[in-house]
Amino acid sequence: MSHLELKNVSKSFGPVGVLHHVDIEVKDREFVVFVGPSGCGKSTLLRIIAGLEKATSGDVVLDGEVVNHLAAADRGLAMVFQSYALYPHMSVRQNLSFGLENTKTPRDKIEARVTEIARMLRIEELLERKPRQLSGGQRQRVAIGRAMVRRPGVFLLDEPLSNLDAELRVTMRAELAALHKRLDATMIYVTHDQTEAMTLADRIVVLRDGRVEQIGTPLELYNRPANRFVAGFIGAPHMNFLEGRFAGGEAGAARIELDGGHMLSLHIPARPKGEPITIGVRPHHIETQGGQARIPATVTLVEALGPETIIHAEAEGQPRIVAALAGQRGITSGDTVSLALDERFLHAFDADGRRVAEGEVAEEM
Amino acid sequence: MTVETRQGIGGGHFAGLLLAPVRWAMNLIDRPMSFVQRRFGLGGVAAAFLAPNMLVFGIFVLFPMTLNVAYSFTGGGALFLNNRVFVGTLQYETLLACRDFLDAASCREDRFWRAVGNTGFFVVVQVTALVLVSLATALVLNREMRARGFWRAVFFFPVLLSPVVVALIWKWILQRNGLLNAALLELGFEPVLWLVNRGWAMFWAIFLSIWAHLGFYTLILLAGLQAIPRDLYEAAEMDGAPRWRVLTRITLPLLWPNMVVVILLALIRAVQVFDEVFVLTGGGPGTATLFLVQYIYETGLAQQVRNLGLASAASILMAVVLIVLTLIQLLASAWRERKEQR
Repeated sequence: MSHLELKNVSKSFGPVGVLHHVDIEVKDREFVVFVGPSGCGKSTLLRIIAGLEKATSGDVVLDGEVVNHLAAADRGLAMVFQSYALYPHMSVRQNLSFGLENTKTPRDKIEARVTEIARMLRIEELLERKPRQLSGGQRQRVAIGRAMVRRPGVFLLDEPLSNLDAELRVTMRAELAALHKRLDATMIYVTHDQTEAMTLADRIVVLRDGRVEQIGTPLELYNRPANRFVAGFIGAPHMNFLEGRFAGGEAGAARIELDGGHMLSLHIPARPKGEPITIGVRPHHIETQGGQARIPATVTLVEALGPETIIHAEAEGQPRIVAALAGQRGITSGDTVSLALDERFLHAFDADGRRVAEGEVAEEM
Repeated sequence: MTVETRQGIGGGHFAGLLLAPVRWAMNLIDRPMSFVQRRFGLGGVAAAFLAPNMLVFGIFVLFPMTLNVAYSFTGGGALFLNNRVFVGTLQYETLLACRDFLDAASCREDRFWRAVGNTGFFVVVQVTALVLVSLATALVLNREMRARGFWRAVFFFPVLLSPVVVALIWKWILQRNGLLNAALLELGFEPVLWLVNRGWAMFWAIFLSIWAHLGFYTLILLAGLQAIPRDLYEAAEMDGAPRWRVLTRITLPLLWPNMVVVILLALIRAVQVFDEVFVLTGGGPGTATLFLVQYIYETGLAQQVRNLGLASAASILMAVVLIVLTLIQLLASAWRERKEQR
């Protein structure tokens, strides 16, 4: 059982504040992913949980006990480092057994545990090799094995896939998800890759500038981003943001005039005429056929991926719009297309970037 | 080959002006260089570039070394080799003529064996102490601490001083009416004859050479420590490794390549110890701090009757010991490397 709480955790390095009043709860056996751009404080937060860094204020609570004062090794956690941090002069076997030797575990128990982990991770034949004789994926497995060997309550993973090539990353991602299920352990995973976050997490914590922007399941974040930042960060390709103004309407059905003169009708409370608003639309919710709001645009780039075609287009008064169209289309660069936004999936953000009219956007099924 | 310079944005004109003479010089040697390359090939050009250095090395190192070997087979008081008498291995026999190698007094050239004994003792104690103190200093200086740059400079500073200056400073501190005895008197203790007592003289000779060279070896070890990724220490922390185990299982094995360099250099330098101890104690009291190089210097150059043959033979024996030590060290290192790669 491992239940973790961060209560009002702040961290400063000298005058520079990197974490501000962070409150997060990680339930037992949950897979939580901290995601955010570089410098948002996600790794620092993980290090504070690990005990490698001390919080300036606030508490780290593990199974109901404040562990601020406990050394890293005494918290019952294990960490997989971004660089793997395998001891280069030790064999894989020694890497795996080092932690148990430190706790004076009997030699036969260490052997049994190492063998068990090696079998589970399919690294039995690598046990006598040195880390430099391993491939990236094998090193990754050994690093995870080293974390597993001490049977920690919580696994902390700091961007563990970032050093792998794209193909291996996908494979290892699936293996990690399977491992989580098999171990039934609590895992906290840090990444800047929103795809990793979406595919692995039970819940995602989005961080920006040391503050929690939103906590939720992957689909909650995708369907109801709390603000423009989360909306732009979650989802690939990124959400398009179209600038516009309120242009009247009734209660619960506002008229929006986009820059460039196109009109939209949205199920949000109307605000005074002329008040600025940003409309967010995901590339997968734009079509070149059907729809009500049609925006003429010139295609500047076509990415034919096979199952879908991604087009980059420029419309009058708007920044570049990206649309992900299902299937293969006969569109080429320079073509003029009419972009139809699916009004069921539009997101509205006010001038401060906050979501307008929570609950008005349909869930994508 | 014509040299062109790229003009960057802003400051490009200034950089262009600065580089103009270089460009001019490079273009000037372009034609002759192309000709030489065509005529002698790339290997020939490389040999031509190496030639001046090899010439200097040959004249000032290789030639004297060869000459030294030749001198060691000669005898007599003449300076020039062609006036000297060939005596075969007599000088070596003189040096090695001992009834009991553990008793210098039983040897024909007892001063040589006393110097060998002193040097052996000095090498073992000084190198061990120097490596340990350098390691400890590097470990301390590698930690997060206030004014770390200042402390690093403090430890490195003696390296910048001339050995003679170092010896004179310490002589001023250690002599009968020196600073240390003045301090002892002030504290109510009896003054000690630091450089007259045989044991103390050796102690201060070792101390002085450690003090003077500590910074250099600390620097090498510090560079090694800084090359060890911080992640490894954090991983060890997560693994619950106590400090001593982190030192013995993580730091020292990863620092080993630097340790080999330090031990090797310290060994060679310790065997060659001369200048600072010579100025501090003159080899005394008696022969208490007489080391090999001083014996060679005095035998060959400083005595009224110069015995260049004997001095040369002694220096050849010393070189053999150094070569053997170096080979052992390198072989041990290579063996360890091979073992690690397996």
